[in-house]
Amino acid sequence: MKKLFELEKIKTLSYPAFRTLMIIHFLLFFLVILVASRVHFTIPGFSVKGLYQFPNIWGFFPWVASWFNLFLAIVVILLVGNEFSFRTFRQNVIDGLSRNDLIGGKLILVLAIAIYTFIMVLLAVLIFGLIYTRDLSFEIIFKNSYLILIYFIQAIGYMSMGILVAIIFRNNALSIIMFILYFALIEPIVRLFFKAEVRRFFPMKIISNLTPMPEFLTMASEKKYTSATGESYLDFTEMGLLPENLSLGTTVFLAVGYIGFFVALSTVLMNRRNL
Amino acid sequence: MEKVLQINNLSKNYGSLQAVKDVSFTVNQGEVYGILGPNGSGKTTTLAVVLGILNANGGDYQWFDEPFTKLARRRIGSLIETPNFYPYLSLWENLKIVAKIKDAPESDINYALGVANLLKRKHTNFGHLSLGMKQRMSMASVLIGNPEVLVLDEPTNGLDPEGFAEVRNIIQSQAKEGKTIILASHILDEVEKVCSHVAILKSGELIANGRVGELLSSDETVHIQAENMEALLVVLNESAIVKNAKIVDDEIVVVLETDIKSTDLSKLCFEKGHSLSKIVVKKQSLEDQFLQLVKK
Repeated sequence: MKKLFELEKIKTLSYPAFRTLMIIHFLLFFLVILVASRVHFTIPGFSVKGLYQFPNIWGFFPWVASWFNLFLAIVVILLVGNEFSFRTFRQNVIDGLSRNDLIGGKLILVLAIAIYTFIMVLLAVLIFGLIYTRDLSFEIIFKNSYLILIYFIQAIGYMSMGILVAIIFRNNALSIIMFILYFALIEPIVRLFFKAEVRRFFPMKIISNLTPMPEFLTMASEKKYTSATGESYLDFTEMGLLPENLSLGTTVFLAVGYIGFFVALSTVLMNRRNL
Repeated sequence: MEKVLQINNLSKNYGSLQAVKDVSFTVNQGEVYGILGPNGSGKTTTLAVVLGILNANGGDYQWFDEPFTKLARRRIGSLIETPNFYPYLSLWENLKIVAKIKDAPESDINYALGVANLLKRKHTNFGHLSLGMKQRMSMASVLIGNPEVLVLDEPTNGLDPEGFAEVRNIIQSQAKEGKTIILASHILDEVEKVCSHVAILKSGELIANGRVGELLSSDETVHIQAENMEALLVVLNESAIVKNAKIVDDEIVVVLETDIKSTDLSKLCFEKGHSLSKIVVKKQSLEDQFLQLVKK
């Protein structure tokens, strides 16, 4: 375990593309939350400022960070794909690692990136929350804090799917294209062929539903914020931004199941195919 | 003598192409074992299977009389085909990865770079090396962890004559230290100069194996013609002074046992009632013998 971590550390931290992409990820996240904090628009029932206050911030920041999980998955695809294109997986096995170690190393990498982003979002939440919240109490600060743990699971979900896609296609460009296509086109189209009760159980649907739009925003689509004609100003469910009738507990359970499935399938493929 | 590698009826297919067919041979401790064959004969595939990077379709193999384990892998230093390293890492960082995998001390890195004459380049990124230097870097990585067995697939690929000689010296010095070396090559001269034993592959099949001196010696051949070639061939193959005799085109090519001269052959034929219309002694080149073997 320690050895695999140290190996991944050498391979990853010195990789210029990794450093660049992680810096871009960091900047994008902070750019969005900083810009959003300066935006003023009116939707009856709430103000943008409220999103930066405890406990709403626990839902808002992970939700914003989740936009960039696709980015993290692409980073992982690059790191796994490189091992195939440089034929270093092959060399690692020749030198003494098992094929399970190869998968183990990449899972440690995924875990490390997920911990890093978790800490990044956590620090952002604490800093912005403390600045923007006036009436601070222990209860208010930590209410809904579990949402950041769910973001952590979601980040692992995206990245573990990234590992699987990279192992299937073994080519960076093709893997990235297929991952984005699956996420944005293939799964949504396939879902259309199934009944609503089945649609909500598809992997990307489940994983992306882990960090739903914060409660504070969803209020805008509720009836009490409808216009005089009775129509809601915004219908986020219609826009695909809200989970569909699954409790958070069920969604987390299914997401963890999908992560297990991605890892198991990656391990089987790694063991069965030639390097 | 301990068996280092035992291969039994190994087969490997790529779709409908059978790259390795029922290959069996044994490499013993201390041998410098060459795997010789033209391009596409299955040398690399055989080595890739026994090193666990390709899955076999049939047969099995054992390293050190045991199934291939992680521990066994660390007793082996291998170079398969092209040098495979992280281009954005320095030579030192790349070898640090190898050392960590093999649980070898970091002091091995400087030793290996020194042997491969790359110590001055230790902070250069692998991607910035010339092809010859990359090949030498592969040799350096093979030496990490002081392995008992070196598996080298075409280790002189892409090297200039100087690099070729350097790599050959490394192999010979490792062999002198008593290490077992398995060397795949299509270069006859390389195998003849370095190896004690050889297996010859052709189209995925093992067509010969044994001591280099027995299979690929620069023997003299005696080319003879007589009236009744078939009867003479039977006589020659029954004789103790003849190692090997076969009809090639319109003559019989005879390889004599050690210390037997062509005059002894002439005398034998005369005694058995065959008068020779031609007797020519030729020094057969290694290349001729190799080509004869693979054309059979």
